Amino acid sequence: MNIIVLVKPVPDPKAPVRLKPDGTIDREKVPLTMNLYDKHAVEAALRIKERYGGKVIAISMAPPHAIEILREALAMGVDDAILLSDKRLVGSDTLATSYALSQAILKIGNFDLILCGMESTDGNTGHVGPEVAEFLGIPHTTYVERIEIKNEYVVVKRLVEGGYELLKVKIPALLTITNTANEPRIPTIRDVIKARRKAITVWSVNDIKADPNKIGLFGSPTRILKIEKVVLKRKSKIFSGSDVDKIIESFLAELKKDGISLLR
Amino acid sequence: MPLDFRFTEEQDHLRRTVKEFAEKFITPKVFEMEQKEKIPDEIIREMARLGLFGVSIPEEYGGLYLDPITAGVIVEELAKADLSCSTPVLYLVHTAWSYIAQKYGKKEFKEEVLPLAAEGKLWIGIATTEPGAGSDLRSIITTARKEGNEYVVNGEKAFISGVREALKQFEMGGGHLTLVKTDPEKGHRGMTMIFIPIRSQGITIKYEKGWGRKGISWASYKLDNVRVPEKYVIGDEGRGFYIAMEGFDYARALIATVCCAVAKRALEITMDYIKQRKVFGVSIAKFEGVQFPLAEHWARIEAAQLLAYKALWALQMEREGKISRFEVSKTAAEAKMIAVLTAIRAIDDAMRWFGAFGYTEECPLTLAIKAVKSYEWAEGATDIMKIIIAREILGREFLPYR
Repeated sequence: MNIIVLVKPVPDPKAPVRLKPDGTIDREKVPLTMNLYDKHAVEAALRIKERYGGKVIAISMAPPHAIEILREALAMGVDDAILLSDKRLVGSDTLATSYALSQAILKIGNFDLILCGMESTDGNTGHVGPEVAEFLGIPHTTYVERIEIKNEYVVVKRLVEGGYELLKVKIPALLTITNTANEPRIPTIRDVIKARRKAITVWSVNDIKADPNKIGLFGSPTRILKIEKVVLKRKSKIFSGSDVDKIIESFLAELKKDGISLLR
Repeated sequence: MPLDFRFTEEQDHLRRTVKEFAEKFITPKVFEMEQKEKIPDEIIREMARLGLFGVSIPEEYGGLYLDPITAGVIVEELAKADLSCSTPVLYLVHTAWSYIAQKYGKKEFKEEVLPLAAEGKLWIGIATTEPGAGSDLRSIITTARKEGNEYVVNGEKAFISGVREALKQFEMGGGHLTLVKTDPEKGHRGMTMIFIPIRSQGITIKYEKGWGRKGISWASYKLDNVRVPEKYVIGDEGRGFYIAMEGFDYARALIATVCCAVAKRALEITMDYIKQRKVFGVSIAKFEGVQFPLAEHWARIEAAQLLAYKALWALQMEREGKISRFEVSKTAAEAKMIAVLTAIRAIDDAMRWFGAFGYTEECPLTLAIKAVKSYEWAEGATDIMKIIIAREILGREFLPYR
């Protein structure tokens, strides 16, 4: 079972966010960390490998200093890591990113599964996984919590609103993983030291034979016009009176207006 | 330009890893450890899995043999996550004294003990203090006499850390590098270091009630005709005092790092509070009476931190044969003296800024102050640190006990 995991560096959610004048995140000044959901994807890949054998390769499309995120994946136990890094990729939206990643995946070749986090903690679009699958022409399933391999199929438990779906998907396939799927391992000191000694392959746009018109700002149809800070105003209402039952009734009625009803 | 304040990328990576581990496994249990007076088995198991008990042990015995600065980075993250200092103590005592065990231990001893120690199945501590001798170690009265290929130990050790852990929590037990007199006539030149497993026959333990860092046990014990094999002698007979001093230097440098980390974390917690807490309509962080001493404490902690890392660096330089024993002792003493006092003062002020809450047992700073206060004497009293520094700058002829 050969697995490719897509990992993305994101601004550390614990660090204060600084915005540039245009409203986008100032990534230069924020410490980067591996996208939380991708950590779950790495863990899922390693567990499949431990159970069924094979190889796990992590790939990230990111600026050079994001190589540390791949070192973290190596420390967790992935076999190889590839950094796709090229100035021409700067400004890529999810479509251009997915195209570039799919080109890199084609260069890697032989794979059974592609795993990634269900979304990123910075952009939160959840687009890249499904778009990569579309570029590669393989099936995909999002919000996967449990994975089992059955011959040439993968049987997954997929999180949907109010419940689960059990799906049988033909391999090769792409799955996006939820943060409820597993508990990512913390590598040992020895694993970290070993990971530091491993070489990380760096590919440019030329290496993956990407069409320059489909990448970077030029290849990105998405334009961010404005980013606004959402201010949630807290609603406060005081229920008063002497009849407690009546107060509770009017409180429940108010909740119902907002679409909240209590289960009995 | 040889001076460089940066950590290596590997050290940064290790720091992140230990931080993630400590915040996940240790922080949620800190108050529980203090109340139940026990480090949970699960934490010890996870520390072992991470490799934290193999830091000083050579690779041939299954350890990692990390340099002192990297060992310091690790303890810094443990201390930030555990202001009670119970887990940092468990780690740092073992790290300092397993270093001594691998450096001076006999081959048969190392083959038997070190692989278990590296795996976290056996814990190594230190036992020098006695009811009648702490700072003045030459006054110890515990003796060891040779009988065939064994040593028979008699005496008493007091205020020793990690007794219950070695006795009950580490799978294969553990013990303490124990300072004894093998030739009482010769004073400190008649002292020898012996590894004494705590599960040995003839040991009677009395647990002490500490004020803080209650997670790790603290005990005094009598040694009544305790027999240990000759191979457990660490270093040559008569060299025990010097070996103990060398181990203390490593422990002191790590303790200095711990005190700074605890104080800094305590101030961070305090800053979150003073920014939000208002008096007379303004946040108390805006008052000079709060922010000026805060700034001073912060800067002093940073200075102490640099000295702590200098001490760890000095230990590495000594390993490379580049600086002398005495220089290491002096730097480690300076670092511990400054770090402990700086931390106590910073946390004391910060507790006051918390108002009445600062005096409750729910305030994490109360754990912190109790923990750092222990270092006014543990691993060498502050006045002893001053004697060491004075000895190096004034000359040995000014030693008060000469």
